[in-house]
Amino acid sequence: MAAIFPFFQWCDSSWLGTTIRNSQFLFPVIEMLHLFALTILLGTTLVLSLRLLGVMFPQQAFPELASSLMPWNLWSLAVMLVTGFLLFTSEAVKCYGNDSFRAKMVLLFTALLFRFAIYPKLTRGWGKLAAGVSLVLWFSVGLAGRAIGFLG
Amino acid sequence: MSLLSICEWIQNTDSSTALRESTYLFPIIETTHVLGLSLSVGLLVVSDLRLIGAGMRRRPASEVYRQLAPWMLAGFAIMFATGLLLFWSQALKAYNSVFFRAKLCLLILAGVNAIVYHLTIYRRMNQWENKLLPPPQARLAGWLSLIIWAGIIAAGRTMAYTF
Repeated sequence: MAAIFPFFQWCDSSWLGTTIRNSQFLFPVIEMLHLFALTILLGTTLVLSLRLLGVMFPQQAFPELASSLMPWNLWSLAVMLVTGFLLFTSEAVKCYGNDSFRAKMVLLFTALLFRFAIYPKLTRGWGKLAAGVSLVLWFSVGLAGRAIGFLG
Repeated sequence: MSLLSICEWIQNTDSSTALRESTYLFPIIETTHVLGLSLSVGLLVVSDLRLIGAGMRRRPASEVYRQLAPWMLAGFAIMFATGLLLFWSQALKAYNSVFFRAKLCLLILAGVNAIVYHLTIYRRMNQWENKLLPPPQARLAGWLSLIIWAGIIAAGRTMAYTF
């Protein structure tokens, strides 16, 4: 782990990190965008998962529903990643020692890997499994994220 | 009895103190409130997208609403219950917070918008439910809902910074 600590220090002392840290309103504004995107990401994830589980929009084929909601799902994910990284740079060194942050990163990279490498294949034939794993992973990322502030 | 004295009374109850000083209960309620955004506002956004003609356009608006509504209402019930508990634990601070007051006003506005929509254009949904782009009045209700709820989230988050 120690090998990546210089990266955390570099982020922390970067122009971006210091600017956000020293501004009174940048952090809250970025966090608000993070929260807006969370609402859309988890909301669309819920709809797609509930469809795969067969309890919502039973009359609609999954590919059709996905073609309509996936752009919102992916764009909100992009906003979450960008705003999340910005928030991170402003307190990177603090994050390094934070167990919840470490858990969140492990969960996040697992969720991303699952989302792009496995999920698209699973939705054909293994829909319920795809829905279950994706719900557990994304809500766990959210849970760990909230814990960064509470547990440290 | 004034609102202020009611809030003072709440803040001084044993249950309020216990909640405020709890190690696990408060974070659990707070986390449920944040992640509950997905089920409540998250699904509402999907429904609003249909109203403004930006999502699920090929499905009848009535079907979109019917499928989302039960889950969405369950989500808002969770938000209301956890929100009430959070307020209970910090009633006095909430009373004095301009952001909390703004949040309440916006919640009332969101309610009025929803009621007006349901009493007017929603009643004629059978005339437009299959249109890719719903009529202006429905689109307005959808846009207002999106804007007001963004404001509610913003006010709620900002309020917590000042506590």
